[in-house]
Amino acid sequence: MTLAQAHRTPPDPAGPAAPPGPPGPAPRPYRARSVPGRIRLVTAVSVLALTVLFGTLFTAAQSVREGLDVIGHDAGPQVVATADLYFALSDMDAQVANVLLIGDEHRLGKGRARALEIYERRRSDAGRAVLQASALAGDDPSERRTVQAVLDGLGRYERLAARALLLDEQAGHPAGPPPAPVLEVYRRATDLMRLELLPMAYNLTLESGTVVRRAHAERSLSVRAGQALTGAAGAAAVGCLVWLQVFLARRFRRVFNPALLVATAIAGMYALTGVTVLGNEARVLEAAKRDGFDSVLTLARARAVGSSMHGDQSRWLLDPERADTYEQTYLDKAQSVLYTPAGHLAAYQKAVAGKADDGPSAFLGLVGQAAARTDLPGSGPAVADVLDRYRDFQQADRRMRELGPRRAVEQRMTRLEAEFERYDAALVKLAELHRASFAGEIRGGEEQIRELWFLLPVAMASTAVLIAAGVRPRLSEYR
Amino acid sequence: MRPVTDPAGTSPAGGSAAQAPGVPAAVAAGGPRRTRGALPGILTAAAALLTVAALLAAAATAVFGNDGPGSILDRETLVIGVKPDQPGLGVRRADGRYEGFDVDVATEVARRIGAADVRFVTALSSTRQSLIETGRVDMVVATYTITPENRAKVTFAGPYYVAHQDTLVRGGDRAVTNVRDLKGRRLCQAAGSNSWRRVAEERRVAVELVPASSYGDCLAKLRAGTVDAVSTDDLILAGFAAEAGSEVRIVNAPFTDERLGIGMRKGDLDGCEAVNRAITAMYQDGTAERLLRKWFGTSGLDLTFTVPQFEGCD
Repeated sequence: MTLAQAHRTPPDPAGPAAPPGPPGPAPRPYRARSVPGRIRLVTAVSVLALTVLFGTLFTAAQSVREGLDVIGHDAGPQVVATADLYFALSDMDAQVANVLLIGDEHRLGKGRARALEIYERRRSDAGRAVLQASALAGDDPSERRTVQAVLDGLGRYERLAARALLLDEQAGHPAGPPPAPVLEVYRRATDLMRLELLPMAYNLTLESGTVVRRAHAERSLSVRAGQALTGAAGAAAVGCLVWLQVFLARRFRRVFNPALLVATAIAGMYALTGVTVLGNEARVLEAAKRDGFDSVLTLARARAVGSSMHGDQSRWLLDPERADTYEQTYLDKAQSVLYTPAGHLAAYQKAVAGKADDGPSAFLGLVGQAAARTDLPGSGPAVADVLDRYRDFQQADRRMRELGPRRAVEQRMTRLEAEFERYDAALVKLAELHRASFAGEIRGGEEQIRELWFLLPVAMASTAVLIAAGVRPRLSEYR
Repeated sequence: MRPVTDPAGTSPAGGSAAQAPGVPAAVAAGGPRRTRGALPGILTAAAALLTVAALLAAAATAVFGNDGPGSILDRETLVIGVKPDQPGLGVRRADGRYEGFDVDVATEVARRIGAADVRFVTALSSTRQSLIETGRVDMVVATYTITPENRAKVTFAGPYYVAHQDTLVRGGDRAVTNVRDLKGRRLCQAAGSNSWRRVAEERRVAVELVPASSYGDCLAKLRAGTVDAVSTDDLILAGFAAEAGSEVRIVNAPFTDERLGIGMRKGDLDGCEAVNRAITAMYQDGTAERLLRKWFGTSGLDLTFTVPQFEGCD
């Protein structure tokens, strides 16, 4: 029993149309010609409808597989990887600021050596992430230019940072703001990083995210269309088969034709299953995109912005003349992480402290978005944990800004550092939760589609054989 | 063909012809001798079925496509809202034409997203949101700051530039290097603007406020020496500084970020992404730098010529 047979058998009797000659042995020519003709016609239409049904299911299932591939295995994870580029870059700059801030007191907080070590690690992370981004950019000329610009900028940044570090070491100063020449070089470095490199890195993530969005929208659309078409073709096929059944029963005075009945049942069941599975898959695609990809990306962005905020705290201490600017950029980023209206930092921190108990729905911003978007099991406590840690982090920041210069540097390097790490860890945990559910969604979707896929040839072949078996004996009565 | 009675017939592979007893099985050997011209009928049916399929697919596209009221990418003539009274950014001239940095940016973006024609209309801060929501304009480029509140109602591409609140002092006044240095000085308080609050209230700098009717009036007072500083968006200050030459000086100590975005109908993701690509290209090919220099180059303001960090369309 082959597929080819399934397609070939039914039209065969109707095949190369002989010229409409005089009627054969049948006494009433009109009826004799018309009955097998009508049987053939309806059979052919049924087969056609079934072909459309199976064809649509085939292509729709293909779309689902591609959609799951793009989001689950291909571009999706790569896009999230580019968000790590931002994180690595902004942490590089934060570590340089830390080293300059520590000055001669090498053992302050985690110490100078540790900061330099992290700097090196982030530098290699950034290099790796640029490679990823370059792979994602593909042939897109604009994105390639951006990747190239990031690469060039990174080289310039490293030279400036190295000079600032060297000058700082030669100058030798107690913890706190370094001498003016050091500061001047660092300003150039951090401006390059914050005003040029970080925006480009961020935009790369957004732009490659649009690729995933478009791919997802296209696939979802074709799955939905496939679902509608499957339903329609299924209904048409079942309708034709039922009509054939009734026609044969009347014409040949039989109660029913079992082969056709089974074929009808199989076609109906398969159409129904197809519509249901495709509906499920459309939902899986949707959920994987929303709970998985979008949330993971949002949290990766929140994490990157967080590291940049942490850097702003060091820069605020490092450069008193620019303190207002750095306090502002800190507030700005804080509001993008968790938004609540406030004109200045103290008001914001007061609002965050007061509002964190109202639950995540009270907030906009990256973390607020991620929290509002999802109702994953176990995400409630994880979100609450992120909010609590964030509030503590903001409180520690408040304390730092209220202390005298010397104590503030100590606060930044010890207590605030610890609070930041706890907040960051809570974010990572929440992201992990999403990542796990995301992987589960994708796996489940792939399994369902595999089953549908596996049964497809069986259903095609069996309906073909059954229809042939049901119709041929009737036709042969006219020979 | 075997005449097998198998009414259960559940096994598809084993399914074959089932016949009611008592009816002689017809002989199935041999090909069809005489067949009526069933082919045209089949073709008609096939055509009908394909038509139905095509219609269904089209209907599905219409139903599941995300662009209900259409995207800015589908417009023949793009209607763009700009400011009529913001020197350097958007000004409506006596002949009814608009000019300024915003207008040039809007023209460039429209060209790059493939709009055949552009028409500018006035969009005030108080009307721009409703203009977008009612569809009377397709796009707003009018010093429209991207904030979480605004983003709830409008989709923003960009920012195409990040402006900052900064301070303008007299050219000879070298003592002011940041906003804190305004302590004890006279700050101009322009009617209808909140910028002074950011200095006097949010940063609690003890300034002496001197009321003025507008920022134009503030500039006159600064030159006359009745106020010591004017503090507001740096692009607005740059417009004035370009006018007054070396008489005034921008301090270049920014202390806010105002992300100037391009607003469009909420949910027009395709349009938003296309505009972001257009902005990226404008910075990459130097157009943005040329326009910034054209409008603010002589002001002494530190301009940023690299692409700003986008907000994202969703």
